[in-house]
Parts: sequence; C-alpha cells; structure tokens
Amino acid sequence: MEPLIDVNASPIECTSLSPNAPIWQDILAQAVTGELLAAMNYASLSEICDDPAEVADALEHAQGERGHAAAFAAEGRKIGVDVANNVGAKHWKRLREAFLRCIAQRDFIACLIVQEIMLESFAVASYSRVGKVAPGTLGKTFARIAAEEEDHVDHAMSILTAERARDQQRFDDKVYCLHLDVMTTLAQMLAKECKDGHCEVCHATCVKPSLFDVSLSAAELRGASLQQYLKTLDMLGIPGEVTLSWITQLPV
Amino acid sequence: MDHSAAGVATRPQTPDIDFALIGHQESWGAAADVVGFLRGPERRPLHDDEIKDILPWIPPRAVCHVDVASTNGAQARGIYIDSFIPPDRLDTVYVHENIARVRKAAACAIKAGAKIVSLGGFSSILIEGNFDQLPERHDTVFTTGNTLTVAFIVQAIKKLCALEGRDLASSTLLIVGATGDVGSGCARCLAPLVRRALLNARNVERLRNLAAGLEADAVQLDFATDLQQFSAEADIVICAASLPSPSPLLGRIAPDAIVCDAGYPKNLSPSADMPAAKIFFGGLGQITGGMTFAPDFNGILNRHPFPDVVHGCLLEGMALALERRFEPFSQGRGPITKHRVDEIEKIAARHGIHLGPLYNASGPLECELPCVGVQHRAN
Repeated sequence: MEPLIDVNASPIECTSLSPNAPIWQDILAQAVTGELLAAMNYASLSEICDDPAEVADALEHAQGERGHAAAFAAEGRKIGVDVANNVGAKHWKRLREAFLRCIAQRDFIACLIVQEIMLESFAVASYSRVGKVAPGTLGKTFARIAAEEEDHVDHAMSILTAERARDQQRFDDKVYCLHLDVMTTLAQMLAKECKDGHCEVCHATCVKPSLFDVSLSAAELRGASLQQYLKTLDMLGIPGEVTLSWITQLPV
Repeated sequence: MDHSAAGVATRPQTPDIDFALIGHQESWGAAADVVGFLRGPERRPLHDDEIKDILPWIPPRAVCHVDVASTNGAQARGIYIDSFIPPDRLDTVYVHENIARVRKAAACAIKAGAKIVSLGGFSSILIEGNFDQLPERHDTVFTTGNTLTVAFIVQAIKKLCALEGRDLASSTLLIVGATGDVGSGCARCLAPLVRRALLNARNVERLRNLAAGLEADAVQLDFATDLQQFSAEADIVICAASLPSPSPLLGRIAPDAIVCDAGYPKNLSPSADMPAAKIFFGGLGQITGGMTFAPDFNGILNRHPFPDVVHGCLLEGMALALERRFEPFSQGRGPITKHRVDEIEKIAARHGIHLGPLYNASGPLECELPCVGVQHRAN
C-alpha cells in the first residue's frame, strides 16, 4: 500500500526499539490515516461553507488534523518505525465516501455529524485508551490529541444542539441515516476480528490479536468508542432508548 | 418495534413520566435476551462473549416505557432504566463502579422528569445506605422499594404456612442478613409472631441494636454472626442476604423448613441436600390491573413464570405513582416498621398489586393462577 500523503518528512532520532514497536506501528498507522482523512474532510467542508468565518474555521481544523498526523508519524520515528497511511484502505475509503456524499448535498450539518459526532467519538475514545497504556511521549501524544479532538466535538455540539432544537424529528432521522452508513463501517473496523480480509493499513497481519501485548484489546477500543458515541448522542438529546437500539444493531 | 429512521418519531419525545424503575440484568442470559430483542429477529443472536464485550460499555439509559394500570382505573406512565451493571460484577470489589452506574441511571430518571424512582434489585442494596450519593434531585424522589418487598415476604411466609398447615406462632424463624433494610423490616414484622427468632448478620453491633429493639416487644430471640452458634433449629428461614448455596443452612434448619430467598441475586434452589425444604423466591408481587411495555419487552425484562410479576422494590414506585403519592417512602437502612409495611400493603392492594404466585428455580410452588411457563428466551 502506498501512502497518499507523506507525513514522515522531518528526521527525528530513534530513542528506543521495543519488541512492541510493530504493534505501535500499526496503531499509529490507523491514527495517521484517520487524521489525514479528517484533514481531507475539513478541506472538503471548507468548499461548501458560505460564511468566510466557517471557511477559515474548517481550514484551520484541516491544518490541525494534519498536525496531528505529523505528530503521530514523529512518534513512530522515535520508536524506530515508519508509519504508513492509506486513506484509500477499504474502511477508510468508505468513510470518506460517506462524507463526500454529504458534501455533494452541501449538507453542512450532516458533515458535522459524520466528522464530529461519529469519527471524532471513535478518535477521542480510542486515543484516550491508547494514551493510558502507551509508553513515554507516545502515550502523551495520544492523550494530548484525544483532548484536542474533544475540543472539536464541544465546538460542534453547540451548532448541532441548536440545529436539533429547530426540528428534532428531522435532525434525529438524519443522524439515524448517517449512523447506518458511517457507524456500520466503523463497527466493522472495530470488530474483534477483521472477518472480511486485511484492512489495508496494518503493515503485515492484522494487529488486533496482538493488542493484548500492549494492554489493549479490540473489544475495549470498540466498547470505549461506542460508549463515547452514545454519550455524545445523549448530549445532543436523542432519546437513550432509541440510541441503545441503534448501537446494539451494529455489526459485531 | 420500528427500526427505521422514523423509529425515533414513533415514540413520544417528552411524555409526562410518573415513575422510573432502575434495574439491571441478573444473568448474562437475561442480558442476551435484552440485546437480542433490541437487535431484532433479522440479525443473528450474539454469542455470550460478544455480549460480555458490549454490555459493560453501555452507559445507563432508558430501555423502554412501562405503563401500569390500577384496578380502580388509575394509570401511571413510567420508564425502565437499565444501569447495565454486568451480571458478573455484583461483588463488593465493584461497589464504587456500581454506585457510579446507579448515579448515572438516577440522573437519567431525573432528566426524564420522573416524579418517583424505584431502585430495583442490586441498585436498592447499593443505595439504601448511600442516598447522599444520588445526584441533585429537583422534583424527583427516590425510594428503595424495600418496604413493599418486606410486605410481600411477610405475606408469602404467612401464606405458605397456611398452605402447609404450619403454625407460625410455634415456629422458629431464622433471618440471614437480619440487619439489612429488608432483613430488619422482616424481623420487626415477623419476630413478634413466632415462638423464637434467630438473627444472623456479619456486624455484631448492628445485631445487638436490632435485638434490643425487638426485646422491647418481649420477643424471644438469639443473635449470632455465625449460623453454627444457634442452638435451635429454624423451621422458617428468610435469606435477606444472598447465599452462594444452601450449604451454610444445612444442619441449622429443619429438613422441611420454609425457606424464602429474599437475597439478590436469587440463587437458592431446591437441592439434594434439602429435598423436603419449601424454597421460594420472596419479595415478588403481581399487577392485576395491567402492565405494558413499549417496545414490548414483556417476558424479557420480567422473566418470571407468571405474567405481570415484578420485584416488590419496583412495584413500590408503581403503587405510589398510581396513588399519586410522590414521596420517598423507603429510604435509608433499617427504618422499616410494621406500621409502614401495613401502609404500603394497603396502597398496593388499592391498585390491584398483590403478592405474586410463589415459585422457585424449579417452578411454581402452587398453581392457582395459570402458569405461563418460563418466559425468558435463553439462559
């Protein structure tokens, strides 16, 4: 797989090479890919914004996500691994396509729901988990970026809450349609095993069975991500009994 | 159940909620049934390990609406909130985690505008001594529901004695977990009616205090922290603390003893060690005016071999809602008196809420009502 964007530009001296480095390499590759996809999404979003302030905001977010990708890539170099990225990998590609459908409809709210509620829930929860167990600066970087991503969500929540107040029914229906599209893909990504073949991001075989070696598990990352997603939907005011059925129907 | 996007629309967004019930699933089988129902018949059922990977991550939230009707025509609207305490994490080691879950469930009830909240099963045990840990309540009141639980235990003991031709007045009553809210309430109601009462609990000071209160009623009693210290053999037993097996009772109770499993979770069952004992699950009542779930979780959330059977602790909130008495009827640990038990019993009866049919893990002890069979879909 060929990286679409080079985020391994600046040389950083490798300070250690642990036996777990290949595991961190794959975790970082997923993170870099996710950040680059987010950067692309924000760049696309800037193209449908009418308000110059919103355009600037979206471009600033895109720049921020590229910075996150670069920070993760730098952490890879510190542990002596090249961190690949592949926004064309099958799951990530589907997520990008879902976002582009919202762009094609010039649906700013749908774009925020996909990026800030769904993708960022996944990022905040999984980065937080990784941040707790990853050693040294690697852990600190994941924790820092998790906190920054959470700030994004807070910013979007005020817009989305106001939008829902205008027409709850319409808003909730929109979230559900996007949920079926985006969260189904995310749930497949986060399944305990990659049942439908290689994810096209891991550098060799699937990293999921090895996550236990770094005190993580696919189930934990999935559970934490869905929990974060549910909490975000709760904050939006979507009834808990409704969102409960949404998440229990996702692929496992 | 409507699983389309319009599924959001088919439910009222902000119905007036009279009561909320906070509970959790007693077993992984029960949890699998709930998740299976939510997934719908078109999706494959999840394996146990998949359920175990999902359930602990679900934040407390409403699962369904519950409407109840009184036999006098009154109606009350409620919601069932699951705290999603994993069934294998009921040990004391998880107490802080579980209290946090009950707090969050309580916050859901407050947010939903429930006027009264009943704490079901283990939630009641966790909170009975920790009411100060509940979130700020606004206009919502909380009840452990323990007073109605005690009422149903006492009624069941009297009923089974009558059915078995036993004389309560000449019986020896043993209460395991006697200093808890339910155990002490049972002691106050039943000890004056029996020949002798044996009180067992872990804390000797609390036992001494309870015994002192009962001795004022000229009750003949013994108390001990170890069951083996009792010289007398009990022929009526209330297990208000959960026992992992009947073995601690062996040798301390009559072979044909009446044994009420009032602990949580309920895990005493007829065994080869006590083949003649009459074991039943205590504290259960039945709504005769009608109870409906939306979505229809009937038989999934109330997994009993009889229809409309519910734990007394939850029924207390429903009865008070039907009575329009939104007050914290049962609070704290140890204040349940016979007077309060009589009061809640009358309130419940006014709305057609009565003692449920007696049964245990092997099935019904009596079949005066048509038994619908074990309704749950998997174990």
